[in-house]
Amino acid sequence: MLLLSRLRLRFQSLFRREALDSQLSQELAFHLAELKAELLAQGMTDAQATAAARRAFGPVSSISEQSRDHRSVSWLEDLIADTRIAFRSFAHAPTFFLIAVLTLALGLGTNTALFSTAYTVLFRPLPYPSPERLVTVEEGVGGVRPVISLRELAHSVDYAGYLPNNDLNLQLATESTRARAAVVTANLAAVLGVAPARGRWFTSAEERSGQHRVTILSHRVWRDRFNADPAILGRRVVLNEEPFEVVGLMPPSFAFPTPTTDLWIPIRIDPRDVGHMWGSGNLTPIGRLRPGATLAAAQAELPALNNRIRDQFPWRMPDAYASGARAVPYAESLAHDIRPKLFALSAAALFLLLIACGNVANLLLSRAVRRDREFAMRAALGARRGRLLRQLLAENLVLLSAGSALGLLFAALLLAALPRLLPKDTPRLHELTADPTLLSFTAVSMVVTLVLFGTAPMLRLWRGRSDALAGRSLTASRSTVRLSLGLIGVQLGLATLLLVAASLMGRTLYQLASVESGVNPTSIVTMKLSAGLSRCATSERCLALLEDVSQRLLALPSIRSVNWANYAPLDKEFSATAVDIEDHPKPAGAPAFVLWQTTITPGYFSALAIPLRAGRWFTAADRRGAPEVIVISESTAKRFWPNESALGKRIRPLSNQATRTVVGVVADVAQYSLTGFPHWVDGAQYVPLAQSLPRVAQSIELTALVESTQPQLVPAALAATLRQDFSGVTLSRLQTLGQTRSDSVADQRSTALLLATFAALGLLLGVVGVYGVISHRAAQRTREIGIHIALGASAARVITLVIHETLFASLVGCAAGVAAAFALSHLLASLLFGITNHDPVAFVTAPVALLLAALLAALLPGLRASRVDPALTLRQE
Amino acid sequence: MSKPSDLIQGTLDLLILKTISTTPLHGWAIAKRIQQISNDVLLVQQGSLYPALHRLEQQAWITSETKPSDSGRIAKFYALSPAGREQLAKELGQWDRLSAAIALVLKHA
Repeated sequence: MLLLSRLRLRFQSLFRREALDSQLSQELAFHLAELKAELLAQGMTDAQATAAARRAFGPVSSISEQSRDHRSVSWLEDLIADTRIAFRSFAHAPTFFLIAVLTLALGLGTNTALFSTAYTVLFRPLPYPSPERLVTVEEGVGGVRPVISLRELAHSVDYAGYLPNNDLNLQLATESTRARAAVVTANLAAVLGVAPARGRWFTSAEERSGQHRVTILSHRVWRDRFNADPAILGRRVVLNEEPFEVVGLMPPSFAFPTPTTDLWIPIRIDPRDVGHMWGSGNLTPIGRLRPGATLAAAQAELPALNNRIRDQFPWRMPDAYASGARAVPYAESLAHDIRPKLFALSAAALFLLLIACGNVANLLLSRAVRRDREFAMRAALGARRGRLLRQLLAENLVLLSAGSALGLLFAALLLAALPRLLPKDTPRLHELTADPTLLSFTAVSMVVTLVLFGTAPMLRLWRGRSDALAGRSLTASRSTVRLSLGLIGVQLGLATLLLVAASLMGRTLYQLASVESGVNPTSIVTMKLSAGLSRCATSERCLALLEDVSQRLLALPSIRSVNWANYAPLDKEFSATAVDIEDHPKPAGAPAFVLWQTTITPGYFSALAIPLRAGRWFTAADRRGAPEVIVISESTAKRFWPNESALGKRIRPLSNQATRTVVGVVADVAQYSLTGFPHWVDGAQYVPLAQSLPRVAQSIELTALVESTQPQLVPAALAATLRQDFSGVTLSRLQTLGQTRSDSVADQRSTALLLATFAALGLLLGVVGVYGVISHRAAQRTREIGIHIALGASAARVITLVIHETLFASLVGCAAGVAAAFALSHLLASLLFGITNHDPVAFVTAPVALLLAALLAALLPGLRASRVDPALTLRQE
Repeated sequence: MSKPSDLIQGTLDLLILKTISTTPLHGWAIAKRIQQISNDVLLVQQGSLYPALHRLEQQAWITSETKPSDSGRIAKFYALSPAGREQLAKELGQWDRLSAAIALVLKHA
């Protein structure tokens, strides 16, 4: 009740101010009249009484002022008034306002977007119940049977297994398309704690071979490919020419293991298929800690589990098998690769915000210096210091609100663009939306910003500059100048840091671009072709299909050759085989050699212009039934047979009894990535497609390499021709080899691009800051400069006079920036290639470029100052 | 004329609340009443009176009504609200305790 009436009173105070004010003056007039009446009664004359009453009453205005203050909303009224004043004063300085708001928006927007991204990708809890209890095993066992064993044997964790990114042919009424399936164990839903939106999850019986033909669809596929068919449950779909029954539909939010997963199918357990159970497929474990169990317990039981699983293998595994296994939180493992990059980008965004704050602080400082007289006047007229501070605060708040509003818009735009700027395999990007987290980041950034840019001018006022009224010209105090120069130094230091980081990434890109990949990418178009049972029931039929497709394509104009391989160079697919190598016996229990295996048709080397170093290329005679042959890379030959010819040496795959003979040595090719093979690969070998067709479960997926005189026109023509003539064949990923190469460095490129953008903005802001500070200083010192010129100082002398302080500050800042970059650059090390993180080129060019830019920005106002007309400036005042 | 005693704020509030507890009064009358009852010891300055009245009004302890006074002029009459009555009781209690304590000290120390 009391609260309500108080609230009503406050409202009245706010909105019925005039009425209350007139009531107050009426009341005071009444008091005055009564006082006068009393005095008259004591025998004074009218005039005497009026004067005496006034005297006794005291100043009416101060009483009403105090009474008004007690209405308790004066601070709010003041704020509204201050805001109005702030807007009015900004209207008189539109350039200042615009620059300050844009600068703030830039800093805040970038910061908000990058921090939201980093939060979403690295820290936001995964969308499963108790996500912190989900674990995975890094560098542990993989494969169908090993993970099933892990599930059966583990005590502290409930393990499930999944195999992401299995591309299958999805046969729809009119066409067949590629669909991305995740092959999962039946207990995955229980481990993750999810349930289908409709229908049911898999049963454990459906893991058994023969009962495994059931599937669960993602919401996206159901909506896009099945037109949101309400009767989807129980419907049959054809995957790789096998009928599957749809038993469930997942909710839209479910994106395990990747957001591009279209459907889920159960793992097929078939104890008789030894290769499938132990050899192929990297079924990956994910688990949930059992109640009471800890991560440490999960880790502790791993070595014993791995030893038992190793002994279950039908062939002897190396003693060190899975010995490096680590149980890690699933969220951590997911963000593993992207972490350094996002940290670097977030730090860069933060630096950009700091630079922006420095600029706005400097703008406000010079504005404050110009307004000294205004504030001194108002202080002299009775405004209290707190009141003036509040007005400055209101101005800052107006700036900040405008900057934040614009910054939020900017952040939303950036957030929409980021998923395209960051590499496609960045985890959890699909969860990135403009949401309340974004707002809270903006709010935090705003407060930080206000403290950073608003404090300096307010401190200055707090220390009091009442002498300004007396002073004839408005000059900045020594401490203000120092503050302003300090800000410039910090800004340029941070800009240097950004520039060094950007140069390091730029140099990395350059190094990557100049890597000789060993193939001629300009005229080759690649596409993935897959075919199932109807085309590949036997290897012969499969090879015949490839031959037919080749002939059909060669009939097209502009196509010169068609070759086939398991993977195209640089498409980042894994293809490694464990082998025994002649002359290099391994002791039992030691890990075998691992060779990268590329399966190719005979024309592959000449189409890709891979030079032959010794022996011969494959020919059509290297077919099935003929002696098994291989070609190895130059560095492989050198590694294993440094002092003799590799020709005629024998290499035997562990999973296969046929020994292959080396018939040729070719130049090295960047097959996996431009930065080389993973460290555990010992060399590279090529195998004829005809002798080793990679046919899995009566289906194939191969890459066609089509050499054309007009590579840009080919993809559409290829697709049209093949879709028309070859039913049951699915095409995907049509692109030039150049695009594949370019995609393979998407990670480095996106980092370089974003860092370069931040660095360019940082440089721009820093330079604008230098320009602003020098212009302002020069304007303040016009009279001094006039005197110097009148006394005969040369233009060079005047310029030096105006710019030397700022340049010195820049130099110091730059040096500090280089030092900081030197100390911090190891954070970028994992993203660099071909250079060290202390690359001298980057560490020299970045600061030099920055200093040159700063010098240029300083010279402009310096030159202007040197042309001051001494007569004019001295006559002023 | 003796120098009016400085009334500390809380005390003035208490005096005002007590003065209007029986009948609504306008500002002038409140000042006069306090002066008369205290035998001219307590002179309430206008500069303190009106701010105090408006503060109490904002606290919703007193309510005001504008109506003609005895002299025929329009004046603003202040009356105690129920919340103000509670507040008065509370402050009276505090005052009693305080003055009793001071008296004790003065008598026995």
